[in-house]
Amino acid sequence: MIEAHVERFMAMGTRVELHVFGACDPQALLLGRRAIEQVDDALTIHRPSPTVSLNEALAAGGAATIDDPTLLAALIETRAMMTLTEGLFDPTVRQGAPRRAWELDGARGRIAADGPLAFDFGGMGKGFALDCAAAALRETGVQSGLLSAGESSILTIGRHPTGEPWPIGVPHPFAPGEFLAEFDLADEALSVSSTVDASAPGRQPTLRGDDGSPVSAPCTAIAISARGSLAEALSTALMVASPGERARFADRDPSRLLCFRFDGCDAISLVQPGVRTCDA
Amino acid sequence: MPDNPFDLSRRLFLDRVAQAAALGSMAQLAPWAAASAAEPAGRERVRLGIIGTGDRGRALIQNILKTRNCAVAAICDDYAPHLDKARALLPAATPSFADHRAMLDAGGIDAVVIATPLHVHAAQTFDALSAGLHVWCEKAMARTIADCTAMVERSRAANRVLQIGHQRLFNPTYLNALARARAGEIGTITQVRASWHRNRDWRRAVPPGSDLERKLNWRLYRESSAGLMTELATHQIQVANWFFGALPTRVMGSGSICFWKDGREVYDHVALIYDYPGGRKLVYTSLLNNARYGCEEQIMGHKGSIEPELGRIYAEEPPRVPGLQQLRRDVAKGRRRTIPIGGATWFPELPVTTPGESLGWGEYDESMLQFEAFAEAVKTNTPAPGLLREAYHASVASLLGEQAMDQGQPAAWPAALAFAEPQTAG
Ligand SMILES: NC(=O)c1ccc[n+]([C@@H]2O[C@H](COP(=O)([O-])OP(=O)(O)OC[C@H]3O[C@@H](n4cnc5c(N)ncnc54)[C@H](O)[C@@H]3O)[C@@H](O)[C@H]2O)c1
Repeated sequence: MIEAHVERFMAMGTRVELHVFGACDPQALLLGRRAIEQVDDALTIHRPSPTVSLNEALAAGGAATIDDPTLLAALIETRAMMTLTEGLFDPTVRQGAPRRAWELDGARGRIAADGPLAFDFGGMGKGFALDCAAAALRETGVQSGLLSAGESSILTIGRHPTGEPWPIGVPHPFAPGEFLAEFDLADEALSVSSTVDASAPGRQPTLRGDDGSPVSAPCTAIAISARGSLAEALSTALMVASPGERARFADRDPSRLLCFRFDGCDAISLVQPGVRTCDA
Repeated sequence: MPDNPFDLSRRLFLDRVAQAAALGSMAQLAPWAAASAAEPAGRERVRLGIIGTGDRGRALIQNILKTRNCAVAAICDDYAPHLDKARALLPAATPSFADHRAMLDAGGIDAVVIATPLHVHAAQTFDALSAGLHVWCEKAMARTIADCTAMVERSRAANRVLQIGHQRLFNPTYLNALARARAGEIGTITQVRASWHRNRDWRRAVPPGSDLERKLNWRLYRESSAGLMTELATHQIQVANWFFGALPTRVMGSGSICFWKDGREVYDHVALIYDYPGGRKLVYTSLLNNARYGCEEQIMGHKGSIEPELGRIYAEEPPRVPGLQQLRRDVAKGRRRTIPIGGATWFPELPVTTPGESLGWGEYDESMLQFEAFAEAVKTNTPAPGLLREAYHASVASLLGEQAMDQGQPAAWPAALAFAEPQTAG
């Protein structure tokens, strides 16, 4: 029988599960967990953290130094994703607040903003944390695993223990027992963003990165990428994108992207020409 | 006699303290416990005169008899039946008195142990200090905040040790819990939910036809007690202060005589919120007509919880993701099936009933251990650092809670009531 190992815990404001299959270093899961907790400690804005300190330092604009390597890595990743999504994904956006330009000198760990700036990594943190955990697990030799942060961010390591890709089905929000879409994943991450979640009250609104306006239409976006942070940023961006924008950044990135709008219980696919999809 | 109960208890205590010390700096967390883990200095026993041989006084006598550095040298109680019960525990030659001043005048003691009703603690402490004696006094310290403060000041002026009976400060389970909390195991502690619930009237039987109601049932009357606050809440407020590493900034509360309408004057049902810096809270309830939830301090951090009375520590473990449970079952059967996952799923927010992990139980007796520490403090005339501060803050907080309930208004912690450590030790 195939060995199965699991670590379950709360982090990044949600429940995290790390599943590893096959022989594994007894420390592996703990290292994976520590990696996620380290990201949580660095990026949280709900208790004292390097991000909170940075936000305080940038509360009036100006420049600040980033000492924490995890936060710096997240900022570097953020810049890349902002470029890729034409700014639709933006962890500094606030509803009703003017958008600020900021510059990052990754080599020196310096950041400068032209006005008050605050980061909230909620739109990519879970994926980023899974990437860090996956790196730690792979380093210990893990070859088959499935990691989940809040079930909206999934990352697969290698293949399913049967040797085939991981079969993932995103449940239809309004049709119990049915899938909205099914995918095969191998060494890939999947992220789901949604304004519809009839059963999960109290979600944060998704805001457009450029003007901060909330998305109110009932829709679900799914992105599959090589990295968790990228998948999460893309699914967020996809939700708020116009058809043209969706087509443009999908062209630029090899990710698999899907977007659905709901009309009652019917899911209407908003896939645009040029967007590469992998429907079941 | 390596296997007498005291030695067993002490050995276990040392084990547990060592365990806790390995996790954090015990000297910093609980210097008094580190001190009581040390070997007694010299062989002579500190001679104690016990004032008040009621229920608690007699329990204390039995604990003192188990120590290796204390002796019961005299006893005193102004109620003959209680004095007689205490005599039965001691050698016949043990001097006994009906008035504590007579006991002080008779000499032959180094310190007093006060286990009388709350409202006489202060006066008896002052008398003993004036007689040049050290004082060990049961919690709560006194009936008024002013008297609590005066007890601290007078013990300093007299250069004598004053120690208050907060046995949780010597309980290895609590010490271990504190060390693990300080090591970050349960994350940022934001709330302590403490309760002491009993289902009995809290009355003592009064001989028919006597006028002893207010004497024997001193807990139920305002002149002699603040009821649940000084009798029970003090212990738990001390625990909260200790785990938060802070003092309350204010307290709000509501008290009522809700169930036992028998002529008592103190509340039989209290609910309070103590605010601590940073928005942290102690949520406290005590009542006398339901015992299901008993006595516990639920210490809650973002990574876990501690229930020291149960002796358990729990990690925050979320409910399992159903789709991944299915995956595990499938893999075990060598099957591959679509894993239903993706999108935040809702899970019912029911109380979690995971068993947690033991913090270490033991047969140690913390009430005895605190006398060991007291005797060492008396021998060197050096109070164990930090101990009186904990007790003073707990007593003041309990009385401030009473005030908030009586006035129906939040009571702020007066800055002047923060315990200042003495300038010079010894
Ligand atoms: N630390 C603990 O866990 C704990 C537990 C129980 C009681 N206590 C404390 O112990 C103290 C006594 O409580 P108790 O339950 O034993 O009460 P109790 O009524 O059983 O005993 C008090 C005794 O003091 C005697 N007394 C009253 N006035 C006196 C005086 N002026 N001189 C001499 N004796 C006098 C009474 O006759 C009585 O025997 C209280 O302060 C209480 O809060 C502490």
